[in-house]
Amino acid sequence: MPSPDRSLRRFLWLLNKEFRELVASKAWWVLLLAMGPLTGMSFIGAMRTYAEVSGLNGGSAGVGEALSPLIGVWAPAFSSCELAAVFLLPFVAIGLVAGDRQSGALRLEMQQPFGPGLRITAKALVLLAGWLLAMLPPLSAIPLWVSLGGSVWPPELLTLVLGHLLNAGLTIALAAAMASLAEHHATAAILTLGVTVGTWILSFLGAIQGGLWERAAAYTPAVMVSQFQHGLIRLDVLGAASLLILAGLAIAALWLRTGVSVPRRGRESAVLLTATAALLAACTLLTPSWDTSESRGNSFPRADEQALAAIRQPLFIEVHLAPEDPRRVELEARALSKLRRVLPGVQVRYVSSSSIGLFEQAQPGYGEIWYSLAGRRAMSRATTPDGLLEAIYSLAGITPPLESGADIFRGHPLAKEPKGAAALFYFVWPAAFLAGAIIARRRLS
Amino acid sequence: MLFEVHQLSKRFGRLPALSGVSFRVQPGEILGLIGPNGAGKSTLFECLAGVLPCDEGQLLLEGFPLAPRDRHSLLFYVPDGIAPWPAQPVGWVLDYTIGFLGGNPALRDEVIAQLDLSTLLRQPLGTLSKGQRKRALLAVGLLTRQPALLIDEPFEGLDLRQSRDIGAALRLHAARGRTLFLSIHQIADAARLCDRFVLLNGGEVRGEGTVAELASLAGVDTTNLEEVFLALT
Repeated sequence: MPSPDRSLRRFLWLLNKEFRELVASKAWWVLLLAMGPLTGMSFIGAMRTYAEVSGLNGGSAGVGEALSPLIGVWAPAFSSCELAAVFLLPFVAIGLVAGDRQSGALRLEMQQPFGPGLRITAKALVLLAGWLLAMLPPLSAIPLWVSLGGSVWPPELLTLVLGHLLNAGLTIALAAAMASLAEHHATAAILTLGVTVGTWILSFLGAIQGGLWERAAAYTPAVMVSQFQHGLIRLDVLGAASLLILAGLAIAALWLRTGVSVPRRGRESAVLLTATAALLAACTLLTPSWDTSESRGNSFPRADEQALAAIRQPLFIEVHLAPEDPRRVELEARALSKLRRVLPGVQVRYVSSSSIGLFEQAQPGYGEIWYSLAGRRAMSRATTPDGLLEAIYSLAGITPPLESGADIFRGHPLAKEPKGAAALFYFVWPAAFLAGAIIARRRLS
Repeated sequence: MLFEVHQLSKRFGRLPALSGVSFRVQPGEILGLIGPNGAGKSTLFECLAGVLPCDEGQLLLEGFPLAPRDRHSLLFYVPDGIAPWPAQPVGWVLDYTIGFLGGNPALRDEVIAQLDLSTLLRQPLGTLSKGQRKRALLAVGLLTRQPALLIDEPFEGLDLRQSRDIGAALRLHAARGRTLFLSIHQIADAARLCDRFVLLNGGEVRGEGTVAELASLAGVDTTNLEEVFLALT
């Protein structure tokens, strides 16, 4: 058995090799080159809209969430990461994972007493480092925004960056698994994009069918990123994403091994997937969450949260709205999601006989929301946060707390043109990456 | 005896690639694996190195089975027809062989000289000709420290002069105690370099031994390996 020192040296050599392979990869440089313009388009567009809402050109300034930099600027500016993670990063990851097998390097390297888990870890670490470099253009928008007088709330920005790192991790793990399963790059790319499209279909089904589909859709990368974009960190989502990343990398490690029969690898994969499914189910039971947004857009006012936390009996809510009814979407996104954060035990049941509810409107009872608490029942049709709180307070016999002015998010208007952004994103970053590509490729030899 | 291969079998679906292959490998010898195309030579090497799973049979070391995951302590295998690390220069590949594959740094300069690689050290492996790449891969194999080195088609892509020079280099490494097991389809090359032979045909061992022993087995009176080969296949 090799000594820990020797194993560490070998691991460092492996990291060195993977990094050189990444630098030699054209796909990675294309990803880097695309990031500047992609970020520029979204950041400049978002900043102009933000400036208009802030009262540029003589318009009146908006209020509240509309002037939250997180929603107004950072979510769109970092959307370049989402695009790149879906359409560019998989090719970089597939190239790095499948390249060794196609070139024959794997047959030489696997003759060493070095576990496939460590090999795939080295690849994942290097890909993550490569992704961090790709995130430099959107990150550079932060000092630019500050230099123009913009306000920054670090916790919400860190949450957003964490969301995009997790999303990239999911992409890397998925691409690594597919690259180790498929014989060719093209097959791996098709499989990876197929799974991504599958998650989009799942989100679509969740929106139409509701129920279990809706619950499963909450763990798709697109929905997960959307939560981080709103400054919300949910432990169940964090756990599920981490678990899926580990499972993807473990599948890649299982299938990268040489000298092991396909049926055996298949059996081991089935066991791994079963264990992952069980742990995922356990993850969905985790309820803690943190609202890191400055606007507290994912939370009720603090006074309401304290009042709600005093309710000890189980609360049941029965909602008679179809999955695609805009009232249900509003109720879920703006009221129930906040309620679940304060009362994790709340049970919500949706009742409907169709997906859009168009022909259910005339039926008696459609649109009703029934609240049950400690044997008492009350009905309301309001789908706003205030309507929901009013119904619960009335049922629980709690006097609604007084609204505190200090709790209201006033927003950070910035009525400025994005000066310097076009030069930074359309010229400086592409030129820097181009120069980096030329220098790095020369240094390789 | 360095190791023994006992009743090794491998099938690809219904097609038997190796059937009950058994032979012995002596320390410090140059053993040639010869046989016509499709005889199962590369499959045998891949099974021995643990790159391919075999269906039956064992590799015995001092009489005990050596599991595929433990074979890295005994042998290193250089496959034919691979182009690993195409973007990396030859010099770095040799350093990587020493650093990651546990190669012997003391042999680096000697192997570069023996395989005439000094002018190629800054060239990426993917830009080399077939013969140049073969020399670089032979260097990778010669730098490793395992007692036995398995090389699939060591002379593939090399011209006559290079074949002779590399043959001499391989002899030198064998003389220092390293066991070389070479799969060679050119009988003349094998006859020139190897001490003993394993003759494989249709996935089965048709003979094992020196030219004289194989000739005796074939019932022919000759020291010409080509004639013995034809008689046994």
